Amino acid sequence: MYQYNEQDQTLINARVEQYRDQTRRFLAGEIPDEEFRGLRLMNGLYIQRQAPMLRIAVPYGQMNSVQLRKLADITRKYDKNYAHFTTRSNVQLNWPKLEEVPDILAELAEVQMHAIQTSGNCLRNTTTDHFAGISPEEIEDPRPWCEIIRQWTTLHPEFAYMPRKFKIAVTGGPEDRAASQVHDIGLHMVKNDAGEVGFEVLVGGGLGRTPVIGKLIREFLPKRDLLSYLEAILRVYNLNGRRDNKYKARIKILVNAMGIEEFRNRVEAEWEINREGELALTDDYIAKLKGYFTPPPYAADAVDGLSVLENQLEDNAEFRAWYERNTRVHKVAGYRAVVISLKPHLKPPGDITDVQLDAVADLADTFNFGEIRSTHDQNLVFAHVAAGDLYTLWQSLRDLNLARANIGTLTDMIVCPGFDFCSLANAHTLGVAEQINEKFDDLDYLYDIGDIKLNMSGCINACAHHHVAHIGILGVDKGGEDYYQITLGGSSREDASLGKIIGKSVPQAEVADTVEKILHVYVDNRLEEERFIETVRRIGLAPFKERVYAPVN
Amino acid sequence: MPLLINRAVVEDSWLLVDEDNLAAHINDDIVVPFELFEQNLETLLKADGQLGVQINGDQDVNLLLPHLAALALIAIEFPAFTDGRGFSFARILRRGGFTGQLRAVGDVTRDRLDHMQRCGFDAFAIPDDRYSDDILSAFGEVPVRYQGSTDDERPIFRQ
Ligand code: SF4
Repeated sequence: MYQYNEQDQTLINARVEQYRDQTRRFLAGEIPDEEFRGLRLMNGLYIQRQAPMLRIAVPYGQMNSVQLRKLADITRKYDKNYAHFTTRSNVQLNWPKLEEVPDILAELAEVQMHAIQTSGNCLRNTTTDHFAGISPEEIEDPRPWCEIIRQWTTLHPEFAYMPRKFKIAVTGGPEDRAASQVHDIGLHMVKNDAGEVGFEVLVGGGLGRTPVIGKLIREFLPKRDLLSYLEAILRVYNLNGRRDNKYKARIKILVNAMGIEEFRNRVEAEWEINREGELALTDDYIAKLKGYFTPPPYAADAVDGLSVLENQLEDNAEFRAWYERNTRVHKVAGYRAVVISLKPHLKPPGDITDVQLDAVADLADTFNFGEIRSTHDQNLVFAHVAAGDLYTLWQSLRDLNLARANIGTLTDMIVCPGFDFCSLANAHTLGVAEQINEKFDDLDYLYDIGDIKLNMSGCINACAHHHVAHIGILGVDKGGEDYYQITLGGSSREDASLGKIIGKSVPQAEVADTVEKILHVYVDNRLEEERFIETVRRIGLAPFKERVYAPVN
Repeated sequence: MPLLINRAVVEDSWLLVDEDNLAAHINDDIVVPFELFEQNLETLLKADGQLGVQINGDQDVNLLLPHLAALALIAIEFPAFTDGRGFSFARILRRGGFTGQLRAVGDVTRDRLDHMQRCGFDAFAIPDDRYSDDILSAFGEVPVRYQGSTDDERPIFRQ
């Protein structure tokens, strides 16, 4: 993974001291509340319902074991011994003290971490595929490009006060595990007819109040032009995005209002001016950054582990279930990618304790070249585990309560913190996630239902991406009571689509029962091998509506 | 209102005019609001004295581009600290060849000065209640720059 050089380290250290001084001046009454709000948000600090919340950046989901141990340590020293992974593959602390945040940042800087631009109306953390570099389908590893974007976005002087936040996602090929079509900019690595690799560029996707799938703005962008093109888009947005209404301020609204043609014309006109300037990437720089993402030293004899694995899978049904649900193909024979489930039974999705963090760091050192990735759906990934190590790793993870074999199943939900922590929430989410977990505890039933995506947000800000879940649940407030609106048929993958509301919202007590009814309709109607989303697309919403809202007799 | 130019507090020698007193000061060094500039373009360009324009984010910066050589000052207004359009205005004007004074006015306070300078501002009108003597330390707090900007167009990989 990327390693800071002296300049990177100087920048991070200076940023910590800058923020320390801002905090000091705020506490001394020299910075008005409203203005400090802008400054602290740009450094990841929210004031939440119960306490401040600090969001720490995990650039494109990449971490090493040293960083994980530091996070564990910080949760012990400054927080309540746990951290929470988010849908931007970042990590949040729910209980830091405002006065101590500069010290936390200083500790993070020691391990090349920070909280820069994890919130606020600026360029946010860039995300990518958690199987980057190992997926057989990939055209090129997207991570060097993410790092190029990270550097360009960090403390960009022109785009620190935009109309609204701005998120970029990159995929290494046609497979989309980064929800790129619902980002402000989605970049996909593609090959053109001449065999050159570049980017397909989408713009104006997003969720929230007005969910929109991103629109194609450029079919092929040469690699060297990546930053000049991004800068052109950002400049057009910064100048023209609406600033009078925060719900209409995202780039998706601008693109819709202007029309993609006109928006494209303006971007291209701006790009023409800048394209040959200093922002054009140099071959040296690209090569240098690619050098940080070379494959780890795979063992040549890793394939020997396959026969051992074969036996272990036969002997142990529990292990086999985990292997089938929680591991994925790797482009190198003899290796698998392992998804570590942060969705244990009856625990808030995405949460991890200090003890687990330390243990995962040790396991990463032993089995995964010291690397850990966080995913868009709030799990962790060990991307390079040798076949012969899988059984031992599974045992260790199981002892840590991190081996629930539920990846891609109903209980692998994305859930935002909701009313328990978030001051914007309309409704609770964690209790409802528990209710669903209790109802669908039977693994055999979950495996029978198979691949399904359920996401739940506590308000229309849609942090949990409920619009693009197969089953989306949105908390709403009805006269002081928590109600939940249900959508079906969304997808955040390469076949991205927005879910449709099935009818009036249901009371809290009935959410899991409603999900059960929906699953019944699926089971009754599915064709052989047909996944939930395919059935929904084939039969439409009507049968689901009928069952969910059937009069009780 | 302290005016910082090249990191020193200086006297403001410019007069911001309005519709009523424009005629009286037409041959002085004046800053003219954008609408007045548009309406009186020819007279202004012919007058003695140096000419400045004040523009805000709702107005069309491109209309200034043909006249940059005739302008000695452009003041860009920040109606609120959250309004970042002025940063792009500054870069566009400098890119267009403007070499006169580029002044930030309005909600211009310490924690944005460095970004403003990087985008091409060289003058900052700071509200009295937000001015303190240590304000100069705001410049260069973070000494490493990944991006090129107006102060130095070279991104980190060309530095
Ligand atoms: S979706 Fe709403 S409730 Fe949930 S984290 Fe986001 S803002 Fe908070």
